[in-house]
Amino acid sequence: MSTMTDKKRPVKKDSRDNGGDDMEGGDEKRGRGFVRRKVCRFCADKNAKVDYKDQSTLKYFVTERGKIIPRRISGNCALHQRAVAKAVKQARGLALIPYLVLAS
Amino acid sequence: MAEAKNATAKVREYETVFLVKPDLTDENVDKVKDKVRTIINRDGGKFLRFTIWGKKKTMYPVAKQPRAIYIHAHYLGGSAMVAEVERNLRNLDEVSRFMSKRLADDVNAEAHQPQEDLKLSGDVDDNKPFGGAEREGFGGFDGDMDDDGGYGV
Repeated sequence: MSTMTDKKRPVKKDSRDNGGDDMEGGDEKRGRGFVRRKVCRFCADKNAKVDYKDQSTLKYFVTERGKIIPRRISGNCALHQRAVAKAVKQARGLALIPYLVLAS
Repeated sequence: MAEAKNATAKVREYETVFLVKPDLTDENVDKVKDKVRTIINRDGGKFLRFTIWGKKKTMYPVAKQPRAIYIHAHYLGGSAMVAEVERNLRNLDEVSRFMSKRLADDVNAEAHQPQEDLKLSGDVDDNKPFGGAEREGFGGFDGDMDDDGGYGV
């Protein structure tokens, strides 16, 4: 399942790797804005598990406000984003992660 | 009743995390632990391990307290047993919150042996706000996307 999504994604290595052509304005502008290839952390590292008990990892997937960071930004694949969302919600129930953080 | 079913019933692996009030002494924590352990062993389950995460700061007040002692229980058994454990946790005044989760279906009970209880120290530094400076953002995200609703951290 997850390998399919990996395959579909074109490998857009930025042109800065081959370094040579700086002529076209910016070095990493292409189309609209520069696209960094995002890889699902959990697909990339087979040992990484989504765990609601792991506060420090989950923190990476919520904003400072406590909202879950969308997939288009976190780069998770659909499968793991679902797992992360579930884990965040479970961790919230145990007060490991806040439901919301009020602006101070 | 459990014995009659045991031959056919699946053994599953479960874990339960529960929060107890922060002002409990170690003996009282042990009492809660023993209670859970006896229930599981009585109902034909197999208790594996307690991990005390220690007194941790909660992200929001739980039972009007800013801290709680986290206890993690790991065991094998059936669904009826989990319901019984949860019913008992609900009745205990010391327990403010609990959550059970199934880890695996149909496990081999012999492969899991009970282990020594673990005790972790919990939080040392209090008053640390959530997130803050130590939180890393996503590298490639800096003002390129205009349509995001305030995720630009």
